[in-house]
Amino acid sequence: MTTATEALTAAPHPLAGKRMTGAEMVVQVLADEGVDTIFGYSGGAILPTYDAVFRHNEELRDADGQLPMPLIVPANEQGAGFMAAGYARATGRVGVCMVTSGPGATNTVTPVRDCLADSVPIVVICGQVPTHVIGTDAFQEAPVSAIMGSVAKHVFLVTDATRLESTVRTAFEIARSGRPGPVVIDIPKDVQNAIGEFRGTGLLPIKSYRQRVQDVADNALSASAAKAFFQFLGESRRPLLYVGGGVINGGAAPALRRFAERYQVPVATTLMGIGAIDTTSPLSLHMLGMHGTAYANYAVDDCDLLIAVGARFDDRVATDPGSFAPKARKIVHLDVDASEVGKVRNADWYHVGLLARDLDMLTSWGERHNVRTDTSAWLAELQANKDRYALNYDRDSELIQPNFVVEEINKHAKGEAIISTGVGQHQMWAAQYMDFREPRLWLTSGSMGTMGFGLPAAVGAQFAHPERLVIDIDGDASIRMNLGELETVTTYKLPIKIVVLNNFGDGMVRQWQKLFYKGRLSGSDKSLHRKDFVKAAQADGFEYAARLDRKADVPRVVEEFVNFDGPAFLEVIIDQDAGVYPMVGPGLSYDQMITGDFIPNRHEPDEGEEPDGSSMF
Amino acid sequence: MRHIISILLQNEAGALARVASMFSTRGYNIESLSVAPTESPEVSRLTLVTIGSDQVISQINKQLLKMVDVVNMADMTLGDHIERELALVKLRLEPDQLPDMLKLTAQEGARVLDDSADNFTMELTGAANLVDDFIDRLIGRADILAVVRSGPLAIARGQQVLRSATG
Repeated sequence: MTTATEALTAAPHPLAGKRMTGAEMVVQVLADEGVDTIFGYSGGAILPTYDAVFRHNEELRDADGQLPMPLIVPANEQGAGFMAAGYARATGRVGVCMVTSGPGATNTVTPVRDCLADSVPIVVICGQVPTHVIGTDAFQEAPVSAIMGSVAKHVFLVTDATRLESTVRTAFEIARSGRPGPVVIDIPKDVQNAIGEFRGTGLLPIKSYRQRVQDVADNALSASAAKAFFQFLGESRRPLLYVGGGVINGGAAPALRRFAERYQVPVATTLMGIGAIDTTSPLSLHMLGMHGTAYANYAVDDCDLLIAVGARFDDRVATDPGSFAPKARKIVHLDVDASEVGKVRNADWYHVGLLARDLDMLTSWGERHNVRTDTSAWLAELQANKDRYALNYDRDSELIQPNFVVEEINKHAKGEAIISTGVGQHQMWAAQYMDFREPRLWLTSGSMGTMGFGLPAAVGAQFAHPERLVIDIDGDASIRMNLGELETVTTYKLPIKIVVLNNFGDGMVRQWQKLFYKGRLSGSDKSLHRKDFVKAAQADGFEYAARLDRKADVPRVVEEFVNFDGPAFLEVIIDQDAGVYPMVGPGLSYDQMITGDFIPNRHEPDEGEEPDGSSMF
Repeated sequence: MRHIISILLQNEAGALARVASMFSTRGYNIESLSVAPTESPEVSRLTLVTIGSDQVISQINKQLLKMVDVVNMADMTLGDHIERELALVKLRLEPDQLPDMLKLTAQEGARVLDDSADNFTMELTGAANLVDDFIDRLIGRADILAVVRSGPLAIARGQQVLRSATG
């Protein structure tokens, strides 16, 4: 927000006072916001702004021919939305997607909802039919502000051209402030064409929202709150940090690591929190929840203090909220969003604020007050559990086990590659078996669970980090959802590595059907599908496109695939019956976790009545 | 429990729809909703009646405060407040029922707007339960042609005023 003093002292925008079209103003604000890539698909109602992007790029093309704001064109607008999301997840910066009206805009509804559910900042700019025909069922008209109002953090329909410039700027502010999220700007074509004076500064007067965000930012932990927190920690012998995606979104991973190290508190992360702590650290218990590691879930069962940070007791973690962390005498909750506190579980101590600052404040308060914790017995117990209940699978099978493939990929990725996934079994195997030494390397659709996320997210991430190794670990059913984007990978010569773990169907759906529906594989078996994925990749220009169906070849082929210089595609024919273990059934408590045939279980298998699958989700 | 929630809302395109959508998206009920501009044309005031457990009401309040268009909100039920609803009712009466109905109207403090028996029209202002009782009393005594209710409005008693969070 520009204050009066800033307005007086700051140099005016070099283009302030220049007359330009609304479309040119949109592009200039994008440039001012530091946007270096736009993902989008053209069409009638967005033509003026596409033209303005073209002219901006031509004017500012550098000596090497590099464009300041390249426009990356997907096969489908959903792809553009997930590319913007992949870019945002991999960087923390706002991803930008630009599409036309009607179907262009509605195709981005899924990524917009996905970004809201996982708190990812993107701005989607949609063309709209001209103001005077809105509501007449015009060609390519859709009620974007009504549709997006339910799935975006906020949506603007710009009907007043004089407010366009400040609206675009404000959209970025809203997307990145507080709990981040997607913002949609719906711009009628006549507003894009309207000529006005560019001011180069100014935001919409959303004083109350801004004040509430500021209140959270100003809400530093008090000394008395810190004291109360350390009283809980001091009384605890078995504390556990339960860490969610908020730590990554809030840039709080370094602060979390300092806190965990200083007080020797073990860390279990949610799916979205993976990478908040180095997964190879002795303090890391990896992922908890429905498909978490057995030792992380046992730690939840055994802890006497649960410290939730940027996590929300979601139904994939607190599968049965009442029995979650049953021995925890105290529950502590830190979050940036007040509505998450007490939503599922009440906390004995909570704080709504900026996680990085608040965790560092706790660490330093404890240091100043010479707080000592002794968790060595607890950590030793957890280490024994990590050894005893380690992830495992059928290593002797003749068939290729997906876990083995992921382990081999992990040897080359070394915890430093960006990994994206679709949704389902392969997503869980990747979450379980890959290492992540840093945040923002793990890109996955957590809350919405959108199949088809992996490939476009990898494209967005590779544009954000051209030098990094980017691997899309995908499933045959998931990749089909956005298979058109294979062509986008080769069009832009992106050296993305795409591995499809092919089990000829919707593996996770089948796993549930086997467990809860007596094996009736309704709609989930694709063994009659005739798709040749390798030919499909070749047709889209992949010079490396291979099929792997012999176990003995896995290490060699994975190595050549990962190290191929350029886009590479690998289909792996995996054991169709491979399941994801451990598994805590939906609605069940952690002591009812099943661990399969290859991971020990500290509870006797429950011979009770079969659960009613139809009521589970 | 029944709660009356007052919301100050920026007058932006779609703002009302977004508030209503938040309720339906999250499975909360809206029993009644009344909206009109305040003294400032940029800000409307919504008065909304909802029913939910303390946990649900707490979530509604927090979710409302996350919405960009929401200037401020208050759960009127938590404090001392005045509640009023306006009802307009139209009846068809037999001519011999007219004296009785005029008597009832006077007893209940309703105002007659049209005293012709064919379209006897009156207005009543009061708390929602008073309006409920009045309408219950009419059922069976007359042929009710239309019941039009504004939904409750509420204002805090005493010095409390719902303002923009930034003053």
